[in-house]
Amino acid sequence: MAAIQTIIDNCSGLTINRRKVVGLQITRNQIPRVSTTPTKNPWQMELDMPTSFKYADARALMESVDTLDRTGYEDVTFSNNACLNWIFAYQGDLTLIDLNTITVTGFVGNVLELNVSLISKPASTVMFKPNDLIQIGNNPYPFTVTTEVLRGSSTTVSIVMSRPNILTATIGGNNITVGNACTFRMFCPNMPVYKLVPGGYSQSGGVTTGNAIIEWSDSFQLYEYVGTS
Amino acid sequence: MDTIPAVENSPPQINSAEFVRITIYNDYEVPADTTVLTASSAYKDEVIDAQVFSAVGGLMSIGNQQKSIRVTSADTTVALSGIQGTLINTVLSTKIRGSELEIWRGFYNTAGELTSTAKRFTGIITSYNITEDRTGLEDSFIVSVNASSYKTVLANRVAGRKTNKESWQFFNADDSSMNNVYSIATQTFDFGRPVTSGGTGGGGSGGSESIGGDFNSGLNQQK
Repeated sequence: MAAIQTIIDNCSGLTINRRKVVGLQITRNQIPRVSTTPTKNPWQMELDMPTSFKYADARALMESVDTLDRTGYEDVTFSNNACLNWIFAYQGDLTLIDLNTITVTGFVGNVLELNVSLISKPASTVMFKPNDLIQIGNNPYPFTVTTEVLRGSSTTVSIVMSRPNILTATIGGNNITVGNACTFRMFCPNMPVYKLVPGGYSQSGGVTTGNAIIEWSDSFQLYEYVGTS
Repeated sequence: MDTIPAVENSPPQINSAEFVRITIYNDYEVPADTTVLTASSAYKDEVIDAQVFSAVGGLMSIGNQQKSIRVTSADTTVALSGIQGTLINTVLSTKIRGSELEIWRGFYNTAGELTSTAKRFTGIITSYNITEDRTGLEDSFIVSVNASSYKTVLANRVAGRKTNKESWQFFNADDSSMNNVYSIATQTFDFGRPVTSGGTGGGGSGGSESIGGDFNSGLNQQK
């Protein structure tokens, strides 16, 4: 069983944190002075888990959580669950066929350039809207689009992404994945432990098979595993 | 004085990263035999002065660096964190003391591209420190190296030559200026004292081979 994916599919709250590390000072005359270090700006997600799993049903989950521990990572997506796949859903007007024809021509700084020569759509067609996810090739590190992008009339389009190119692999010619089909490579540095509390009584043939539900010690604070990007 | 365009006119926002290069001299008699270590706080590998600075070099922090208009003697500290103890091995198995430490600051534009660099520190590593800390389930270690600026190193340097034949001829084997030093090594005399016997004079020049006896005679009279 995939531990983090199961937590995502069953969580009762999701906090997304993409704040950068900054040094911020307000001068005596109230002028802000900002110092930043460009980083890989990893995704951080905090998942709240309800006390809902019956012990008898969560044995596999507990084992996978213990196996993953605080250092193992897992590629997760929001498209698996029909109740969740509206999160990060693609907002543009292109079809899947159109999207599959797009290839990457360059990614310098935070400007991604795509080859869209095979897309026969009006110039006013909205390709991407802000917050749309783009994943390059099989690299599980999604970038978000910061501004609305129209098809235009050129063979390429340039898109300002949320973070600079953190990929070390060659990406020229790669296809892209968009929206909730993107995957995130996450690990859980604080991996909560679980406590068995009374409840969830179950019986089989007159024999008690379970009388505990799982209570988690903390929320699951996921952190993007960018060490291998 | 160098001008750093990225910080001219006090801009409201500065995007920067630190780059550290350690040049370890494996054999002091062969200056070209070096091992170079790099580390940076940048999000990707960057090239400065034809040197690739690895983004996964494990740079944790850089200590304060004094900035003055005058040349000053200041020390700094660089803290590194490694994977699988490789940095501990580097510190323990190489001649890291005496290595050259250089620190640059790289400036980025808002798109995350490196636009310029400025060198902040050049010095020599004088000591190192390894900290291993295990508290509960948290296990970490940090390798710190302390470096002194060249000015401190030069100020502490004991140098010069002794006024004897060996020291003089260490620099020039044909230099005979100090060949006669031994003959007057245990003698004392007063410069400027009137000569009371002998013909050459007991004062100043002292370098001639023929005056040794005169020194002695003059000194005997003094006694």
